[in-house]
Amino acid sequence: MTAFEYRQAEEIRDAFRTHGVHYLFIGKSGAILLGYPDTTQDADLYVAKEPANGEAVVAALRELGFSLTSEQAAEIVRGKDFVQLKNGPFDLDLVFAPDGIERFEDAYKRHVDVDGFPVCHIDDIIASKQASGRAKDRESLPRLRAFREYWMLHHRK
Amino acid sequence: MSPEIAGENIPADWLAEFEAAARRPLALRMKYAFIRTYKPVLDDAGYRSFNTMEDYRRWCQENLPSWLGYDRV
Repeated sequence: MTAFEYRQAEEIRDAFRTHGVHYLFIGKSGAILLGYPDTTQDADLYVAKEPANGEAVVAALRELGFSLTSEQAAEIVRGKDFVQLKNGPFDLDLVFAPDGIERFEDAYKRHVDVDGFPVCHIDDIIASKQASGRAKDRESLPRLRAFREYWMLHHRK
Repeated sequence: MSPEIAGENIPADWLAEFEAAARRPLALRMKYAFIRTYKPVLDDAGYRSFNTMEDYRRWCQENLPSWLGYDRV
């Protein structure tokens, strides 16, 4: 499999829009969309945990070329907290309950639109990485916080 | 933009990187950002799901090589 491409991000955006999926880019892929210069391997999507939204996600994923069994589709509709997909044209992590963020609705109110890509606010991206407690996230936090300072100066509404 | 305007807490080398990234179009930023390397164990299944994030964190802790950085600290 090759690296995730901009074209594929556009395909996610367009398919999820077509199916009315409520979601946000989160994690490092979200930060990169906001302008953060770093590297990552896959896209992380924060998906609203509702059955109707889960059905929309499944329809969009199948349209994108992900091979989902009926059991896997049912799990996504039910809304597991975390689903890791490596059975499609690119790797995708679906996060239904990210650490450090209470409710999807709250994150959505704060979200940022980047060329039609719905992206978590930098504060939510930092909050989720801080709450994860992982070594690799802990190491990335100082630079991410510095980027927040830079980003807030340029994007304050 | 000068460093004092951008924020005095930002190290100069990071500030230069942020400003360079801001000058690039989104498609180019993403081209530079997404890479592909094999991650042992993690990349060996097409689909995984976890009922809770705690389950996922525990699975990472117990199954992934620590050098991947998924251990909790």
